[in-house]
Amino acid sequence: MTLRTTLIASTIASSAIILAGAAGAQTMKIGITQNNVGVDSYQTTYESAFIAAAAENSDVDAVVLDAGGDVARQIAQIEDLIQQEVDAIIIWPTNGEAVIPAVRKAHQAGIPVVVTNSNIAEAGFDFVNSFSGPDNITQGARSAEIMCDKFKDMGIEGEAQVVHITGQPGYTTAIERAKGFEDRMPEVCADVMIVDTQPGDWNREKSQQVMEAFLVKYDDIDGVYSGDDNMGVGALNAAKAAGRDGIIFVGATNFAVGYEAMAAGDYWGSIYQSPVDDAEAALKTAIDILEGKELPFLNYFDTPKITQDNMGDYTKPVF
Amino acid sequence: MADITRQQIGSLLAKQGILIAFVAFLIGFTIANPKFLTPDNVLSVIRSSAILGVMALGVTFVVISGNLDLSVGSMMSFSTIVVLDLHDKIGPALAIPAMFAMTLALGALIGFLVGYLKLNSLIVTLGMLSAIHGLTLTYSGGKNMDIADKEGTWFSVFGQGTALGLPIPILMFVAVAALLGLILSRTSFGRKVYAVGGNGTAATFSGIPRARTVFMCYLISATCVATAGLIQASRSLGSQNTVGQGLELEVLAAVILGGASLLGGSGTIFKTVIGVLILGFIQNGLLLIGLQFYVQFIVTWVIIILAVWLDIAAKRGKLMSPIA
Repeated sequence: MTLRTTLIASTIASSAIILAGAAGAQTMKIGITQNNVGVDSYQTTYESAFIAAAAENSDVDAVVLDAGGDVARQIAQIEDLIQQEVDAIIIWPTNGEAVIPAVRKAHQAGIPVVVTNSNIAEAGFDFVNSFSGPDNITQGARSAEIMCDKFKDMGIEGEAQVVHITGQPGYTTAIERAKGFEDRMPEVCADVMIVDTQPGDWNREKSQQVMEAFLVKYDDIDGVYSGDDNMGVGALNAAKAAGRDGIIFVGATNFAVGYEAMAAGDYWGSIYQSPVDDAEAALKTAIDILEGKELPFLNYFDTPKITQDNMGDYTKPVF
Repeated sequence: MADITRQQIGSLLAKQGILIAFVAFLIGFTIANPKFLTPDNVLSVIRSSAILGVMALGVTFVVISGNLDLSVGSMMSFSTIVVLDLHDKIGPALAIPAMFAMTLALGALIGFLVGYLKLNSLIVTLGMLSAIHGLTLTYSGGKNMDIADKEGTWFSVFGQGTALGLPIPILMFVAVAALLGLILSRTSFGRKVYAVGGNGTAATFSGIPRARTVFMCYLISATCVATAGLIQASRSLGSQNTVGQGLELEVLAAVILGGASLLGGSGTIFKTVIGVLILGFIQNGLLLIGLQFYVQFIVTWVIIILAVWLDIAAKRGKLMSPIA
């Protein structure tokens, strides 16, 4: 499959180069190896957005690959891309540590590497030209601000109690969002207490169970922060089933279900992170590097706050 | 006199070791947090254990017949995604039987491979774990499935409704447990399951249709998985593709915790129910105590291994293995 994809891709690529050569423009051949397309709607949308963005730019010739969540396959794909002498490689790491040797190989072959969405481990930073993705620490901090502002509106910022449901323990995104939230909350709302933190493993059902236990344990819960909206909606379901009203739910990565719950007035706010922006930012970062522009190493795309107040400015997420 | 009492205690321990461990453990958690044994919490734990519990009931048949079923987690994801998708396409009244039919077809395939072709159940169901996960992703295109009209559908009754003052998932769990308990302990099919798992060769020579019995066990397991998927889908009215991921091991732990032998031939539905409740209450209890979650992984499995050891030790009458 990989070989066939590669062959087809390279055939298309070479014919495109010939055509482009005839047209006199300089074509950039950019290869991407993704983490696991199809495992969730975010990654599925990311891929189609990337292909669309590449097709729109006549100077770009994209080789789009997917590792299917398999580190070994991703390493082989990076090696394939090096063999094909692409101009730049974009990688969405399946594993932040294991891909470093392959990334180094690309770097040694003189091919610029862009890491997208989730960064690789620090040991590999020397071989990477730029990271393009969301700033999860800022996302966590912004969620804290959204919640604090709402508490101030309600006049309970001096006494509010918050529970925190994190993503899967050990995942960088989960750790960074939790850190951003827990560091920022005391800065903006010094008297708000984060009374408990437990993982919901990015899983709606697990998060619902965790919230059920929180509701038994604490008679007074004013706010719930969840590492993403999928878990946030699980927690919301638990509160609804227990008949506990007036809790302020704030999440991250606004999902369609979160957006709908906001429209229904049950869920207060989230962070708008679009897979389309993510994909387009990755491609643009690679192009900018090839065009010799100066870029920061951590090239974040913006992920704004979304609440019931401003949700009209944003379209409903497709995932 | 004293000897008789001691023997009686010994035999009580041997027969109901796991039940005693369960009660001891409930008392321990209640002392640590008095809210543990409030009716609200107990109902909420049993309700969320119902999904795992219904699956464990079916797997009990498979394990007693001397086989394993590691595919139940991804099969549950499949059922959940399928019924949610079909709900909006053909309506809940048709979606539910369609989902049951598709899940039973998967169960029949596994039953055919393990029962009639006599392939190793560990390998077959491990393979099916991945294959069914792939099937689910192919079916959904990786997208989360959500019912569009969450307020207006009666489909939510299986996961969120109540009857007789009890949540429906609990009533379904109890009903399935009662039915399967009767089948296992009071019918000739039930006795065949024990015979096939206890000594397959002897069962064959006694004229027991071994292949058909194993096949039926996988059908029962798939029916339970479909029921669990129905409760899951109805409880959250939306799902990601990985909702059942990893449940196969928790299900197996509950069944073994209940005292079924991995080698087949022993186990009961009642004890599996106790195993399920222990697992559910451990997870809830640790949350209520507020133990840091990294430690929870360790404590959960220490308690499970400890309980299995106590159960075995009570049966043997010794703490260490008699032939060590």
